[in-house]
Amino acid sequence: MKEVLIILFSAILVDNFVLSRFLGICPFLGVSKNLKTAMGMSMSVIFVMVLATVITWPIYHLLLLPNDLAYLQTMIFILVIASLVQLIEIFLKKAVPPLYKALGVFLPLITTNCAILGVTILNIDETYGFGSSIVNSLGAGLGFMLALFLFAGVRRKVDQANVPKFFKGLPITLVSAALVSISFFGFKGLIENIFK
Amino acid sequence: MLFTVVLISLPAILIPVGIAAAIALILGIVLVIASKVFALPVDQTLEEVRSALPGVNCGACGYSGCDGYAQALRDGQDTDVSKCSPGGSDTAAELAAILGQAVPSFTPKVAYIHCQGTTDHTSKRFAYHGVETCAAAQNTFSGPNSCTYGCIGFGDCAAVCPYGAIYISKGIAHIDSHLCRACTLCVAACPKNLIEMMPKHYNAYTVTCKNKWPGGQTRKNCTVGCIGCRRCFKVCPSGAITMDGPLAVIDPNLCTHCNKCLEVCPTHAILRGLPLAEGTDGYPKRSRQEDDPVTPAPALVSGQTTQSDA
Repeated sequence: MKEVLIILFSAILVDNFVLSRFLGICPFLGVSKNLKTAMGMSMSVIFVMVLATVITWPIYHLLLLPNDLAYLQTMIFILVIASLVQLIEIFLKKAVPPLYKALGVFLPLITTNCAILGVTILNIDETYGFGSSIVNSLGAGLGFMLALFLFAGVRRKVDQANVPKFFKGLPITLVSAALVSISFFGFKGLIENIFK
Repeated sequence: MLFTVVLISLPAILIPVGIAAAIALILGIVLVIASKVFALPVDQTLEEVRSALPGVNCGACGYSGCDGYAQALRDGQDTDVSKCSPGGSDTAAELAAILGQAVPSFTPKVAYIHCQGTTDHTSKRFAYHGVETCAAAQNTFSGPNSCTYGCIGFGDCAAVCPYGAIYISKGIAHIDSHLCRACTLCVAACPKNLIEMMPKHYNAYTVTCKNKWPGGQTRKNCTVGCIGCRRCFKVCPSGAITMDGPLAVIDPNLCTHCNKCLEVCPTHAILRGLPLAEGTDGYPKRSRQEDDPVTPAPALVSGQTTQSDA
C-alpha cells in the first residue's frame, strides 16, 4: 500500500510529467488558457494514459520480451496507442455519447501525445509490475491535470499583467511555465519522508 | 558475402516484421469491425440543414452557431426556420423545403445606429489620447464626446462586422443597409448599446437618439438629440410612440408611416429608412460608393417626404 502511494504521489508531484519531465508541453501550452478546456483535456489524458498502459504492458511482457524484440517497443506502442484511441472514440461515440461530448476534440488530439507514449515506456523502463504501472499512469495523468489547472490560473494573471511587447504571448508563457516548474522542484525529497 | 549475411539473419528480420505486421493487421481488423458494429446512422437531414445555413456562426439565431441552429431544427426543438438573418429569405425558404414546412414570411432586418451626433452636431469634452477602441474610451469618463449617450466613433462595431457594412464618418459610425445582413454582431460590440435591429422596410421610422438627459442638457451637447418635447408622442395617431423618460421611442410594429412625427420633431431626431432597390428580397447586392466617404449613410436621410409607402 505504501509503495503504491509513493508511486502515485511521486508521479503527481516529484516526477510531474509536464513540469519535471517536460513531456506533453504542446497540450499544456495549448489548452491551459481556460479551466473548462483544461478539464476536458486532463480527463482525456488520464483516461487514455491508463488504458494505454493496460494494453501496452501485456504486449511488451507477453509478446515482445519473450521474442527478444524489446527494441520494437516504441514503434509497436505508437501503433497500439493510435489504434486504441481510435477504437475508444468509435466506441464512445456510439455507447456513451455524453462522455464522448465531454472529451470532445481532445481525444484524437492526444493520440500521438508524447506524454502518453512516455508513460507507457517509462513503466517498462522502471520495471513496474502491472498494478504499479496502472497506478503510475493514473498518477501521471493526475499530475498533468494538476499542472494544467495551476498553469491556467497563472496564465489568467499573466494575461492581465502589463507585459513588455517583446515578451507578449508565448515568451512570457514559457517563462512563467519555467517558474512554475522550478516551484515543483520543492517536492524533491518530500515523498520519501512523507510515508516514513 | 553479403548474401550469406542476409541468409543467416533472415529469421532475425522476419520474426519482428511478422509480429509487427500481425499486430498491425489485428488492430486494423478490430478497427474495421468496430467501425461497422458501432456505426452511427449518418443523418442526412442534419447535413442538408447545415449546408443550407450560411456558416457565418454569428449567433443571430440565438444559438451558439450554425451547427447549433441546425441541430435544434433537426431535433424539432425549434420549428422557426426564419431565424437566420444573414441568410435572409432564401435560406428560410431552403430550410422550409428541407424540413417539409410551408415557406415562412421573412421580415428582413437591418442594424440601425441610434445616433446622428456627428462632429457638426456635437463637441468634445476633452482630448482623448488612449487606446482607440470604443470599449476603452467608454471606460474613460464615458468617452470624450459632449453627449455621453452617443456614438464614440472608434468603430468597435465596424471591426466586428463581417460584411464591411459599417463605416466611420464625421466621428460616428454609419451602417450601409445594402451591405448589412443583420447578423447582430455589432449590437454586442457597442459599449453604448446604440445599435438595434430594425425591420428593413421602406419607411422605418426611428428616433435616432438614445440620450436620457433633460431637454436643456441635450440641447447644450447635441443639436440633433431627442429633447423629450413629447410633440411626436402627442401627434402620433397609432400610439406607436412611447416616452422612455425624456426619450421618445417608436415601436416599428405599430408605426403606420404617416410621417406626422417627422414633421413636428424640432431637432430632426426622427429619421426614416429609404427605399430598397426595386424588386429584391431586401438584400440588394450592391456596394457602397467608396469615393464619397463623408456623406451620411445612404439609407438614412432625414426629412424625406416625397415618396409614400406603397
